[in-house]
Amino acid sequence: MNIFTRLLLDLQEMSLLIARAARGLLRKPRYFPETIAQMDSIGVGSMTIIMLTGFFTGGVLTLQTYQTLASYGAVDQLGYLVGVSLIRELGPTLTALMVTGRVVSAISAELGSMVVSEQIDAMRALGTDPIRKLVTPRILALVITLPLLTLIADVIGIVGGWVVSTWLYGLPSTMFTGSVRDGIDIDDIIGGIVKPLVFAFLMGTIACYKGLQTEGGTVGVGRSTTSAVVTASIIVIIADFFLAKALQIILGTA
Amino acid sequence: MSTTEASLYPRNGQIHEGGVSDHAAESTFREVDDSHRAIPAIEFRNVTMVFDGRKVLNNLSFKVNRGETKIILGGSGCGKSTTIKLVLGLLKPDEGQILVDGEDITHYSEVDMMNVRKKIGMIFQEGALFDSLSVYENVAFKLHEQGVPEEEVETEVRRMLRFVNLEDAIDKMPSELSGGMRRRVGIARALVGDPKIVMFDEPTAGLDPPTARTICELAMKLRDLEDVSSIFVTHEMNNLEYLCSEYAVVDEAGDVVFEKEGEKLCLVNSKVLMMKDGEVIFSGTDESLRRAEDKYIQKFLRGH
Repeated sequence: MNIFTRLLLDLQEMSLLIARAARGLLRKPRYFPETIAQMDSIGVGSMTIIMLTGFFTGGVLTLQTYQTLASYGAVDQLGYLVGVSLIRELGPTLTALMVTGRVVSAISAELGSMVVSEQIDAMRALGTDPIRKLVTPRILALVITLPLLTLIADVIGIVGGWVVSTWLYGLPSTMFTGSVRDGIDIDDIIGGIVKPLVFAFLMGTIACYKGLQTEGGTVGVGRSTTSAVVTASIIVIIADFFLAKALQIILGTA
Repeated sequence: MSTTEASLYPRNGQIHEGGVSDHAAESTFREVDDSHRAIPAIEFRNVTMVFDGRKVLNNLSFKVNRGETKIILGGSGCGKSTTIKLVLGLLKPDEGQILVDGEDITHYSEVDMMNVRKKIGMIFQEGALFDSLSVYENVAFKLHEQGVPEEEVETEVRRMLRFVNLEDAIDKMPSELSGGMRRRVGIARALVGDPKIVMFDEPTAGLDPPTARTICELAMKLRDLEDVSSIFVTHEMNNLEYLCSEYAVVDEAGDVVFEKEGEKLCLVNSKVLMMKDGEVIFSGTDESLRRAEDKYIQKFLRGH
């Protein structure tokens, strides 16, 4: 099978997986407790790394752009620059990448081990559809929590920028916060929420698909986990570009 | 039906008596009249299965009658496990038909298959317990999925764990169990809901002889006391020995004991099917298997 047919086949299988997972939402049995448990492990569990990532990204952004803005005499725009960069781009993308590293790998390793140790077959033999029981709650939990995590990253990132600008460069506190408040508009925020929704959907699907495709024992689990993380990361970055363009057209800011 | 109140005597028709008494003869006729029993529990008709261009199963046909244990023997990779996965619809055949209880399941969708799977219990090679769930939750899985009230679930789980003699392990996690215990929990889980058809996928592989014997005894109890039809996949000769020469009865004290077949009694509810490279090379009783002249069979039986 050449790469092109392989890709088409993967796409087809993933679409089928999405269709079956979506059907799990519409008909009983629904697995709300599983979804809540996944939201806890994906969302609450990722808080620390997301807060650290957000804080230091905001900080370094301020650190790097201060000199440039100062040479144009536009230091009063520092908060605007940091805020927009975070909300539009860095917040969604970095959060998605961090969550990919932490959650996509975990999902695909877990499902992969379940395939290898015949637990998925056992589940089917016991009359339960593993797609409904395992895939739907995971994708749903990601779609709900990733936008929230992104929001947290954005806020903490702005705090990081403010800390650096006031403590390191001694700028007045209100200069930074004021330019954030005046600069950010609703379009930025909409974009910042839509992106993680799409990312979460893609990441969840890739993670579950790769996990369930695992074959070849424990080595296979490693292979599918690596492949899930690599694919999800690349897809997030590619999707980011096209989403940015699409949002510009839709929101009329192009 | 609970195991404790399981029929006190071996079911009629499972054991042929040397001198047929009137009672036995009469019940044999009753058995024949029962048209439901005439339908095989499982039937394969010319099933062929291809993986990556290699024929894993080639034109496989066999029947498992009601109350019968079909022991499938064969070396690794001969298609034994594939066969039982086909019964459960975990895999689909490329050609041929598969019937469960006279129902053609060959082209059933995953949704239709869920109903068929309810009457089949499956015991996986390594137990395939859900790592994230405790022993209790593993055994209760099916009942929890069906939304059965918790008190009933607990009674049923304890009954099943008593059957495999593991009630003490109820709160343990699978990682705390030994290989044999995992296998027994797997059996308990598969038997929830008293399925009349049970699949054993190499249940004794890698176990010490006494534990393996325990597993075989469970299979014999199901066969002789619960009227379960089963496929028992194995490559270990002592399993064959136990399953084909002993039967379970309940003695006067109400305990289950195992008796050896002898001059008076001959077990007819265990049959052997031997496979090689996806094809049946032998089908019949263990006695005729031992008499078979095929070199591969002889080598398999003697180990050299």
